[in-house]
Amino acid sequence: MPNIIACFKWVIDEAYIRAGSSGELDMRSVNYKLSDYDRNAIEEAARIKEEHGGTVIALTVGIPGGTKGLKDALSRGPDKACFISDPSFENLEPSQTAAILADVIGRKLDYDLIICGEGSSDLYARQVGPRLAETLGIPCISFVQKLTIDGNRIIAERKVEEGIEVTAAPMPALVTVVPDINNPRIPGVKDTLTASKKEVITITKDDLSSAYEPTLRTVSMTAASMERNCVKFTAEPSDITAFIEALAKEGVLR
Amino acid sequence: MDFKLTEEQELIRRNMREFAETYVDPIAAEIDENSRHPGELFQKLAAGDWMGIPIPTEYGGAGADYLTHALVVEELSRSCSSTGFTVSIHVGIACMLTLLFGNEDQKQKYLIPMAKGEKLGAFVLTEPGAGTDVMSATSTAVLEGDEYVLNGVKTFTSNGPTGDTYFVFAWTDKEAGRKGMSAFIVPKGTPGMQAGEHFNKMGLRSSQTSEMLFKNCRIPKGNLIGKEGAGLMLAMTGFDHGRVGIAAQSVGILQAALDESIKWSKERVQFGKPIARQQAISWMIADMATDLDAARFLTYRAAWMKDQGVPFSKEAAMAKLFAAEAAMKHTTKAVQIHGGYGYVKGAKVERLFRDAKITEIYEGTSEAQRMVISGNVLR
Repeated sequence: MPNIIACFKWVIDEAYIRAGSSGELDMRSVNYKLSDYDRNAIEEAARIKEEHGGTVIALTVGIPGGTKGLKDALSRGPDKACFISDPSFENLEPSQTAAILADVIGRKLDYDLIICGEGSSDLYARQVGPRLAETLGIPCISFVQKLTIDGNRIIAERKVEEGIEVTAAPMPALVTVVPDINNPRIPGVKDTLTASKKEVITITKDDLSSAYEPTLRTVSMTAASMERNCVKFTAEPSDITAFIEALAKEGVLR
Repeated sequence: MDFKLTEEQELIRRNMREFAETYVDPIAAEIDENSRHPGELFQKLAAGDWMGIPIPTEYGGAGADYLTHALVVEELSRSCSSTGFTVSIHVGIACMLTLLFGNEDQKQKYLIPMAKGEKLGAFVLTEPGAGTDVMSATSTAVLEGDEYVLNGVKTFTSNGPTGDTYFVFAWTDKEAGRKGMSAFIVPKGTPGMQAGEHFNKMGLRSSQTSEMLFKNCRIPKGNLIGKEGAGLMLAMTGFDHGRVGIAAQSVGILQAALDESIKWSKERVQFGKPIARQQAISWMIADMATDLDAARFLTYRAAWMKDQGVPFSKEAAMAKLFAAEAAMKHTTKAVQIHGGYGYVKGAKVERLFRDAKITEIYEGTSEAQRMVISGNVLR
């Protein structure tokens, strides 16, 4: 009966980001969502629990306003949530997130298995899972597309470029999952309504054993834009020449 | 004043959006074309507690509020108006009437399976000669011993061919006028009750509609719902609740018309630029977006008032009237924006256009809504 921690991030839904007039990102009216692959992580934890028993804790770190994210995560099957929250946790970089998670998991939570998404929907740095495993000193298996519990070990199929790699590791262990692993459930109405009645353990910055300072500096973020020129080319040699000239003029070819 | 939905309402709305994109969008054109009731889809709706949202959990529902139900009908209708409507009439009229007027036995026997989505409800009021003029109905219910005997012909019964639990209105005392009609619960399979063939309709084609025939249909006395003579009041209360659902359905249709129009007008190039940059088109879209918001807020206000426990009959009629007429107006514009491409089967706006028309007709025509509204404001 494994105790499982499913980590998730409450991210800006990219569908709501607009490009400002000078290419800057306008995030004034954005909505938030569970990071896509983290839904797979929570789903996998819930499925293992349904098959083997045990408990599932949904764990996240973020700013205090993110209660909707906790309800969203809890409506997908976890027994309770743990929310490490501080107003300064708005733009944590992966090394900070991993260090904070490791601090809390190592000192406060009992676990056999940690499941993370392969990367987050917003920045997709793919750092938190492996850094967290390293800090906790447990095995990490990434790119997992199938996961089986086999006594005290896990057997994981990894989706790698050359094919599928099957790996085993003793528990406690950490896996990062890809979307192929499952189809996350769509919570029913009662799942959502009962989610807010589940226990949430709140941990503040003061409860951490250290202050984790950022090491990166984001200089700027700009929007990619795609404007149509509405110019048509055929396969005629003259058009191909014109096409190449047009690409050169646009600066695509140099 | 707070225009924000609760976190639960937002999450439930988003989950229904995902549900509709996953399970409804892929079949919406097919069930329209074939006039097919998608039983497999309704099993999934039942499993997710989508079929009894405002019904308390002890009676098989999800125990949420009426606004949440309206949000779900809106999102379902955005993908398939027929499906949204079937949920709307099942919950808004069949379940709500049993919750509000049924006795404990009726709630146990009929409400629980309906709210769980195991049984589908149907509202049997309209007759060939009695549409908006409900009083000109001729169906009768005569008490003989411990049984009522129903006779009459009903028509345009939504969920007629597919229903399990029918709410039938008939005269118990024609002389008593407005206090002479009564309502009865008739379970499917009762001898003497027969559903006709599913009508071949212009729109809303996968919602099953038929005549209902009653010939010496005997039902136990205990199947009277509410008091004898309270039928008309029950029907009007049912309409108040149902109209919030039709308003939400119309909002869903409008949202879909806007979604399709925005997408198409950004892609379609004429005169060297996307038609969205032609003022003729962009102004149509501006009007569509504005009426959508107006319709939506009227609808949410009516649902919110229902949840507050205050009278909402006028507000439900206003929401239904405005949203339905806006849906018809702007699905016409949406087809116009699409040009010839919007007139061809397979274009979503073609289906939206056909589906919008019924919202101005059923559960009270637009004219009937104006009667309700003027009756309220001129009082």
